[in-house]
Amino acid sequence: MRDRTPFEPVIQLRHLSDDTKQRIFDAALQVLADVGASVSHPEGVELLVRSGCTLDDSGLLRVPPSAVERALSTVPSSFALYDRSGSQAMTLGGNNVYFGTGSDLMWQYDVETGEHRPSGLDDIARVARVCDGLPNIDFVMSGAYPTDLGPQGVYLATFLTMMRNTTKPLVLVAENEVDLGAIIDTAADLRGGAERLREAPYLLAYVEPVSPLLHPRESIAKLLLCADAGVPVAYVPAPLAGATSPISSGGHVVQGMAECLLGLVVHQLRAPGAPFMFGVNQGSLDMVSGQPSYTAIESFMNYLTIVEMAKWLRLPNWGISGCTDSQAIDAQLGLEVAELTLLSMLLGSNLNHDVGFMGFGLTGSLEEIVITDEFVSMNKKLLSGVPAEDLDLAVEAIAGVGPKGHYLGHPHTRAHLRKGPGQWRPGLLNRDNRDRWVEAGSVDLREKARRKALAILQTDPPAPLDPGLLQRADARMNTLRRETV
Amino acid sequence: MTDIMKDIIAAVIDGEPGPVTTAVSAALEAGEDPESILNDGLTAGMTAVGEMLDQGEIFIPDVLWAAEAMQEGLAVLLPHLAHGVSRSAGTVVIGTVQGDVHDIGKNLVGLMLSGAGFEVRDLGHDVAPEAFVDSVAHNGAGLLGMSAMLTTTMPAMTRTLELLRARGMREKVHVLVGGAPVTQGYADKIGADGWAIDATRAVVVAKELA
Ligand code: B1M
Repeated sequence: MRDRTPFEPVIQLRHLSDDTKQRIFDAALQVLADVGASVSHPEGVELLVRSGCTLDDSGLLRVPPSAVERALSTVPSSFALYDRSGSQAMTLGGNNVYFGTGSDLMWQYDVETGEHRPSGLDDIARVARVCDGLPNIDFVMSGAYPTDLGPQGVYLATFLTMMRNTTKPLVLVAENEVDLGAIIDTAADLRGGAERLREAPYLLAYVEPVSPLLHPRESIAKLLLCADAGVPVAYVPAPLAGATSPISSGGHVVQGMAECLLGLVVHQLRAPGAPFMFGVNQGSLDMVSGQPSYTAIESFMNYLTIVEMAKWLRLPNWGISGCTDSQAIDAQLGLEVAELTLLSMLLGSNLNHDVGFMGFGLTGSLEEIVITDEFVSMNKKLLSGVPAEDLDLAVEAIAGVGPKGHYLGHPHTRAHLRKGPGQWRPGLLNRDNRDRWVEAGSVDLREKARRKALAILQTDPPAPLDPGLLQRADARMNTLRRETV
Repeated sequence: MTDIMKDIIAAVIDGEPGPVTTAVSAALEAGEDPESILNDGLTAGMTAVGEMLDQGEIFIPDVLWAAEAMQEGLAVLLPHLAHGVSRSAGTVVIGTVQGDVHDIGKNLVGLMLSGAGFEVRDLGHDVAPEAFVDSVAHNGAGLLGMSAMLTTTMPAMTRTLELLRARGMREKVHVLVGGAPVTQGYADKIGADGWAIDATRAVVVAKELA
């Protein structure tokens, strides 16, 4: 896979003034400098203190604005991810928009039976295969948690399954620096060495601090490991507005930014210039059901602000798309997937994960991934806009046809359809009249998406991996299992 | 029901600091039976709050504010209650298991349990089996609540149960478990006494076990 021309929307959504963005940033700096944070990683703390942060008796670490400014001056404003074969596949930064799945869902809507059942390792393979076959899915996260495996080494097993079933770049979760180390070693082995992996990163690690203002040992350890290996890392908190962060959109973003920026500071101190991704997950707690809503309208409001702040700071951003709070593959799913995905495209949000998420991050569906792919395809057309330089005003054609004529067989129509922009063709959406639709079995969107997913699963899998590579990965797995028993 | 009781109930539901104590004092002055003020006023108010949350008529934090207001009223009432009336439904030790930092669900469960009158000792997140067991022993808790949100951390529940058995404490405490990956089946398998899908159900199960 090549990084075809990255998609960048010509129509862009911005709603904050520079002054507002400055105020939000200043408030985040104030939280870092005055409130501080709890960092449970001795080496990380030492690194911060040596560079001007202060640690008080209660264990709170305060970060001066100058430390953040310094980190912002060394962090790259874009970086690339490469596919399994080593070709550049994604350039993250600017307004380039990419889509991919999320990780660790405990349940699946079984694509064959429609049953809601626990996820297994096979689901990870299926998600990867389906994503591999969808042109508008650019990167892959596991999509499922293998509840059929014991807890030791699950994230390495997950990674190996993904690597076997898709050639697209991977975004990974790991428990701690030990299993992440084994994953990175395997990726380096694939590339033919750690230096080659650094030059052409195959994966991005998704690491989270704990809101409010807590940076656990494991989170910082994973962050530092990525800095050392030159593996891109997203250090993204998931404050839930009203529960683990202020309920106001401003407060949510300020706290989340303070959490993410502390990660940026440690990361850049350890390895100035290493690739880092900024982000804050947008969730809010539904105050009646107690559910962590991904798609509440307040969550969307938080999201707009977060992505705009990333643009303003010139940092590649972590975003979200293709997900729903719905428990069914229904119209609510379609509506929420559409709104969130369109927002991401309009914002020029870079790495949009969680495609295929349902029911508050607990259930996955292949149909939802397929539907999102179609939605993205259609809106890439819309948001490419009408290029000013070849505004095809067709005055000649209008003159040629005149009153009472038609354009059906006109050369202008032919040129447009055959050589020009053509007409976007749906893969799933209905364009048939009632009779034809009924004759074809009255198939609705969910069923069409299901059939498309099943069809992709029938195609040939990616080329098998070198058996030596897999053997060495197995050896790492055995070590990991021994060490964590 | 007397208007005075209605006032107490309304003040509990409202959850503002102040009015509940005023209403309880007024009821005492009017010569209402303290037991009745407790049962038909304060406790009835909290029951109504629980039902309203269930119906989606109020927000989760309203329960917290109502419980706080109720406690204020209780403080005024307590000296007037007959000896032996306990202000607590029992002591619960609660926490998120070792290796796991997810604590929002656990916090909600704790909040609802204290709303229902339990004395809640919250050990926070990433709680080691030893810490759970020590706290149960130290507080003489009748109920231990463990929350796990990761498939990888669920085994820490089993380790805690094993430690309870090893210390000869398993018969003295009921164990309630919950969290997104935890099911009734899992609870049965590891030998827990109760499981709940959410915070409201956790209160029901805790009361059954208490
Ligand atoms: C004692 O008796 C009882 C009785 C009932 C009990 C009970 C105890 N405990 C709970 N209940 C029940 O009642 C509660 C109230 O009604 C309910 O509690 P809940 O907790 O279910 O509901 C809460 C009110 C709201 N729900 C939540 O707060 C959890 C929401 C989700 C999105 C979530 C969040 C917010 C977070 N996370 Co994490 N997180 C997810 C979650 C997805 C989900 N929907 O569960 C889940 C659980 N996380 C996951 C993962 C993978 C991770 N998380 C991680 C981190 C985090 C944050 C820190 C960012 C944050 C937690 C912040 C915090 N202070 O809690 C990491 C692990 C950290 C660690 N070691 O613990 C990390 C590994 C990710 C990473 N990149 O590193 C997934 C677990 C997959 C699995 N099978 O194990 C996950 C399902 C999301 C996903 N699909 O990726 C019931 O379960």
